[in-house]
Amino acid sequence: MLELNNQYTVMKRQVHAEVLKAFFAGTLEQEVDALPIKIIPKARIANRCCIYKERAMVRYRIMALMGINIETEDDELKSLSSYVREVMEKDKHVAPILTTISTACSSCPPDRYLISEACRGCFARPCLANCPKDCITFSNGQAHIDDARCIRCGKCKEVCPFHAVVHIPVPCEEACPVNAVKKNEEGYVEIDYQKCISCGRCAMSCPFGAIVERSGVMPVVKMLKAQEHVTALIAPAIEGQFPGTLAQIKQALLATGFSSVIEVSQGAETTSLHEAHELSERKSEGKGYMTTSCCPAYMELVDKHLPFLGERRSSALSPMGYAALEAKKANPQTKTVFIGPCLAKRVEAAKLKTIDGVLTFSELASLFIAKGVDVREMEKADLGKTESFEDCREFALSGGVASCVLSRYAKADEVSVLPINGIDKKMFRTMKIWDKRQPEADLIEVMCCEGGCINGPGVVVKPSVALKLRGGNKAAAPVKAMRSIVGARE
Amino acid sequence: MGKKERVSVKICVGTACFVQGGADLLLYNEFLDPVVLGGCDIEGVSCLGGCKDPNAKDRPPYVQIGGVIHGDMTQEKLCKLLAEAVHA
Ligand code: SF4
Ligand code: SF4
Ligand code: FES
Repeated sequence: MLELNNQYTVMKRQVHAEVLKAFFAGTLEQEVDALPIKIIPKARIANRCCIYKERAMVRYRIMALMGINIETEDDELKSLSSYVREVMEKDKHVAPILTTISTACSSCPPDRYLISEACRGCFARPCLANCPKDCITFSNGQAHIDDARCIRCGKCKEVCPFHAVVHIPVPCEEACPVNAVKKNEEGYVEIDYQKCISCGRCAMSCPFGAIVERSGVMPVVKMLKAQEHVTALIAPAIEGQFPGTLAQIKQALLATGFSSVIEVSQGAETTSLHEAHELSERKSEGKGYMTTSCCPAYMELVDKHLPFLGERRSSALSPMGYAALEAKKANPQTKTVFIGPCLAKRVEAAKLKTIDGVLTFSELASLFIAKGVDVREMEKADLGKTESFEDCREFALSGGVASCVLSRYAKADEVSVLPINGIDKKMFRTMKIWDKRQPEADLIEVMCCEGGCINGPGVVVKPSVALKLRGGNKAAAPVKAMRSIVGARE
Repeated sequence: MGKKERVSVKICVGTACFVQGGADLLLYNEFLDPVVLGGCDIEGVSCLGGCKDPNAKDRPPYVQIGGVIHGDMTQEKLCKLLAEAVHA
């Protein structure tokens, strides 16, 4: 997976902030066609072949932000302003969440193993001895791989003492746990949406930005601008994503135009209670293992690829589901917007009747910039009574869900837990076997992203930074080096 | 040998800087050379103003080093600038 902070993410956030600024100023339709030129001025030194291609990419980024399906709706003769006009009139259909930009895809060559200059043509030749397909030959004192016969097992790479063998992957194909990304005959990326579980790994791995999310930001900013009553449902992972405490983040949301804020951790408490109850029932009936059900990419995985796990999943709603019910109970007229790190949540939200919009943290960051809201300058908002669900903020981390369930379970020491910390190709293969060989655990906690939701595709900062900033509003003292930063204004 | 003055380093943690790469700079304990780290007083500060300047030549994230504001900051660039400042 790509490092989170790179030229591409920085560009993406800049594009988003500019578009949203113009939207709130009421000038988006007039300005939008000039935005690619404003963002990529003549003087810029291009990262792609030229500034014109970069401008074309900004155009596609803007379309993705509008929620447009680039695969089916791209019309080069159509101006951005006419797209904007359409989107202002009618919200786009949500599915599929991702879309591909074939012009951006550099149609990476098929994945291969290659022997580099570093090969010393040594005497022992472990590559030759270990290749199961005899595809290594020697000429000019160096080893060579016969691509046609190579089965890409990687044995030669493992055994070379000089690290002379390199693996050149196709990043998107390598990242997808369920082989839903493939390159078509022309070599351009294509996603098979029948298989895709919306985990977002491919989008995070492509170094050319050829796979993009169709954003859900426009319907939300339209609600805000129309001054409807909007409740922000903030995912447990939000703490640590912005420079300030949870109380300041809440205040920042109010300043941005949300009418009220509910912590999804509150819903997570209900989820935990429900799962604890269900687990004890299953155990007493000898029904075998149960899995958690809060990760929507995992829910998709079960529905599309592992149907035998259907009856293993807890029947609890996700924390988002319960939090939305709370919001609607408090005010039946309110519109609910889930704000989290997750792409797959939009798939779940589209199935629920109680969620009216979904934003990622990254989109919220652009919204803050557009609105000139500085989290660090905010007063502390009142978070209300949080004692009963404070521990549920740990739902954001791998292991956190299971520990919240167990702490609400009477005989916790009788329960064995298996955390699935990230689903990649290998883990997917392992889970397939569960059908034949049951895993030895009572409770299986499943998170598609390694480390948990703080490593989801929509985060602002990488997990190491988020972990340092989390817990700032609890008694837990911030890590020593952070004290100056977190507490400097106190 | 006279005692050298410590270099004052202010990392902007205004929202614009923080979300556009500034957050990574907060890991300074991990990526700075311990000797350089020892020669600096590092703190996080509110918006330095750079992000709001329409004529700015550079972009967030901004860091102020000994009174001078630098933009487009990365971990590598900060290592280099601070090493220069400390050893100057
Ligand atoms: S990684 Fe995939 S999407 Fe990106 S350029 Fe290569 S083939 Fe295209
Ligand atoms: S399953 Fe994940 S990696 Fe594969 S295509 Fe879908 S979002 Fe991309
Ligand atoms: S937020 Fe850093 S200069 Fe404004």
